[in-house]
Amino acid sequence: MNRLTSTVLLILFCAYSGTLSAQAKFEKESRIKSKDVPAAAIRFIDAVNDKCKLKWYKEESLTGQSIEAKFRRNDAKYSVEFDILGKVADIEVTVDWEGLNDQLRNEMHSQLKSDCIDHQIVKVQKQYTGSESDLWSMLKSDTVSPSLTVKYELVVKCSRQKEVNLFEYLFNDSGKVISASKIIFKNSSHLEY
Amino acid sequence: MNTKIKFLTFFSVLVLGTDKVLSQSTYQWGILPSLNLNSKLKKDWSLNTKLESRQIFQSGEVNGEVEGNYKYVQTDVSLIAAKKVGLNSRVGGGYLVRLKEGELFHRFIQQYNVVQKLSGFRLAHRFVTDQTFSASEKPEFRVRYRVSSEIPLNGESVDPGEWYLKLNNEYLYSTQASESDLEIRVVPLLGYDISENLKWETGLDYRASSVFKTNKQHSYWVTLNFYIEI
Repeated sequence: MNRLTSTVLLILFCAYSGTLSAQAKFEKESRIKSKDVPAAAIRFIDAVNDKCKLKWYKEESLTGQSIEAKFRRNDAKYSVEFDILGKVADIEVTVDWEGLNDQLRNEMHSQLKSDCIDHQIVKVQKQYTGSESDLWSMLKSDTVSPSLTVKYELVVKCSRQKEVNLFEYLFNDSGKVISASKIIFKNSSHLEY
Repeated sequence: MNTKIKFLTFFSVLVLGTDKVLSQSTYQWGILPSLNLNSKLKKDWSLNTKLESRQIFQSGEVNGEVEGNYKYVQTDVSLIAAKKVGLNSRVGGGYLVRLKEGELFHRFIQQYNVVQKLSGFRLAHRFVTDQTFSASEKPEFRVRYRVSSEIPLNGESVDPGEWYLKLNNEYLYSTQASESDLEIRVVPLLGYDISENLKWETGLDYRASSVFKTNKQHSYWVTLNFYIEI
């Protein structure tokens, strides 16, 4: 037993001596009650949300805090982001990849082809930013004002050489890439062992 | 109906149903604490070391006499090396040594994991084969499948400082000396994410073995699991 214990301890020591620590992105999303939501955000949502089931979240990141309202309407998922005072910042709506126009898809596709050996689009969101009144109209009656800025956020499974990772791409309305960042998965060892 | 509620309902039915079907046999209950050390290595490799101890507080016949009281049963130490083979899947292999009643048992483990991020919770599938050898018993071969879910109690995902529910359901088919057995495990746990590198969980680990035999065995273990990333 003593020899076995020593062997196990030696294996453990050798195994852990060369370990790397992964860099984690700080981002925390917590569910909050509507009474903790800024009044301005409540007023904005109450005026446009047709009694859809709504969930409020507080998101904390290195760049600050924000409030998010999430709900479903006509099979699409909506996410309305506000600053901590309740001023609307942007609206994101899930859309079908196939529903986008050909030219836009081709532009984004060629970017993904150049970045990845193989890729699979997991999620597409259309992001609207602009004035409060334009965002309000967009949400209330699906009227997209020309002054609204439209971007596309894609979650993409991307194979590069021997690695497969998930990336979040942001494209402008003509399909030119603005940014791409690797999504870091949360630790799952408690689900695996 | 909300996905989380559907899942909890399914799980509750499973727990109650399993208990009903497998009544009238022997039982044992005790504690099953464990300590997990996990580490990321280079080139998508990772390592898990687990220390687990089992102690029985009481055993006997269901609705019958108590046959035994406190008893230290065994201690396991295992080491599993795994490599990421897909976006969210991992293949691993390792070794477990068990000290039980002064005797050593040696187990070789092969496993495959997939962890899915679904809307509002995570779901993990684990497929395991293992082979156990000892001086006193014939070799035992097992095939296992486990489905685990992590359901955040606050928000869309579990963040530091937040609680979660973890529900495991596992099926183990084993064969030893031409005898085979099926064991079913149902494990509801309450967990707390202290930090990115530290979690703890507590709950009940229910195991029904000899499922297809007359004398079924029910085991109830109070668990306390620690997961440390180093």
